[in-house]
Amino acid sequence: MGKVIVITSGKGGVGKTTTTANVGMALASLGKSVALVDADFGLRNLDLLLGLENRIVYTILDVLSGDCTLEKALVRDKRQSQLALLPAAQTRDKNSITPDQTRTITAQLAESFDFVLVDCPAGIEQGFKNAIAGAERAVIVTTPEVSAVRDADRVIGLLEASGIRDCALIVNRLRPKMVKANDMMSVEDVLEILAIKLLGVVPEDEKVIVTTNRGEPIVLSETPPPAGQAFLNIARRIQGEEIPLLNLEPPAPGVLERLINLFRRSN
Amino acid sequence: MQTLSGPLEQQVLFKGSPEGLRLLLPPELGWEEIMQQIQQRLDAGERLWQGGFTVLLECQDRLVDAPQLEQIAQLLTTQQLTLTKVRTERRQTAVAAAVVGLNIDQSPVRDQSPVREQSLTTWEEPLYLQQTVRSGVKIVHPGTIVVMGDVNPGGEVYAQGDILVWGKLRGLAHAGSAGNNQALICALYLAPTQLRIAELLARPPEGAPPDQPEVAYIQNQVIEIALATEFRAVNHGRRS
Repeated sequence: MGKVIVITSGKGGVGKTTTTANVGMALASLGKSVALVDADFGLRNLDLLLGLENRIVYTILDVLSGDCTLEKALVRDKRQSQLALLPAAQTRDKNSITPDQTRTITAQLAESFDFVLVDCPAGIEQGFKNAIAGAERAVIVTTPEVSAVRDADRVIGLLEASGIRDCALIVNRLRPKMVKANDMMSVEDVLEILAIKLLGVVPEDEKVIVTTNRGEPIVLSETPPPAGQAFLNIARRIQGEEIPLLNLEPPAPGVLERLINLFRRSN
Repeated sequence: MQTLSGPLEQQVLFKGSPEGLRLLLPPELGWEEIMQQIQQRLDAGERLWQGGFTVLLECQDRLVDAPQLEQIAQLLTTQQLTLTKVRTERRQTAVAAAVVGLNIDQSPVRDQSPVREQSLTTWEEPLYLQQTVRSGVKIVHPGTIVVMGDVNPGGEVYAQGDILVWGKLRGLAHAGSAGNNQALICALYLAPTQLRIAELLARPPEGAPPDQPEVAYIQNQVIEIALATEFRAVNHGRRS
């Protein structure tokens, strides 16, 4: 039975979809079978980031209506055969699916994949409720900004209230230089408020934008830049937690500290 | 400033009683909200819930159907609490309870107006929460609230009694929300968005607060803040 993990943030534009694409790709490169579910009906992007847009034939809705099988709707990645995408319907809105339906689909996917990553839309309304319905774990993505952290806090509260206790945090787009100059919240500042375990820190990197536009997740680079390496580490931590039953320890501080030190030294 | 009479009716309440734990459902609140509040209460007091209790659900004149009763029963089971009895004034709710196999108490008026009025004017037992009160979470209690954890910005705590935060208070706190101007707000780190005691309102002073526990109280019609070490609650004309 695979793990269903929802990737969410509350605020838009903090990097949920980029994280989903990269972590999914990284997990696949580690030999895990991964299904990515785009829960952002009407504003789907995940296919673009993966460069799979032109291969979509069916969407979740076709599966639900019985027009095609789940297997048929899955778009297999051309580079990583372990990775598959279940696309959202672009022409419909968030109300065209119910939490129960998402639960059914993700449970079905979890039967044949090691990891099912659900890319959650921004906001806390219907789309959010749909996306979290089948998840047992959540990854919260935030940037070191007060507004993003505030929304992340709200989302963690909502996740806990709906019974999802296993929440881990990714601080995305950190600029170590600005943190050092006291112009940006540090990872510690963010953690102090959110008080959940840290899954990883991803530095701001222009290459992410370039690779995103090309439809090639940054983790696929021959020599991944720090941001790509960060996503690879996050994937490792996600799969590493599978070994003990419920690991409440913070993720390997060694790796993280080394990473942070690396940034500090480079300044 | 307006007093808060409304929100109290909007809270799910757990009460100890000789017959076991009583769970009171507010009549107006949406179902999803009710489930969230019950979950919150169960989570927050984890250490305090001694398993094995039986729970009496008081629906009053609220309609609750069988799946909803099962939902509640299931939630309670996670803390080893057993739903055994439903008290309701509605026939349909009673029928639903029978379907699920619960005992039914249809005696009306038993916990109604006079008694209930009184229970709102006398203080409830303190509400003990072991959790982070996160943004968007609102805690309302007709008594004193103790939070073992932080109150984050965007989180709100309303108590008719005192508010004690064993952690960082960075959200909104309203003590003495029914008008008690003897009420106190204490926190290990007092950096709230806003403080309210009884009818008064204050924003915290600019800049970071001292890294010491502080107490907010009313003196001469103004909310004052003092270091906890220099504040003596007993000298504050407390009623108890």
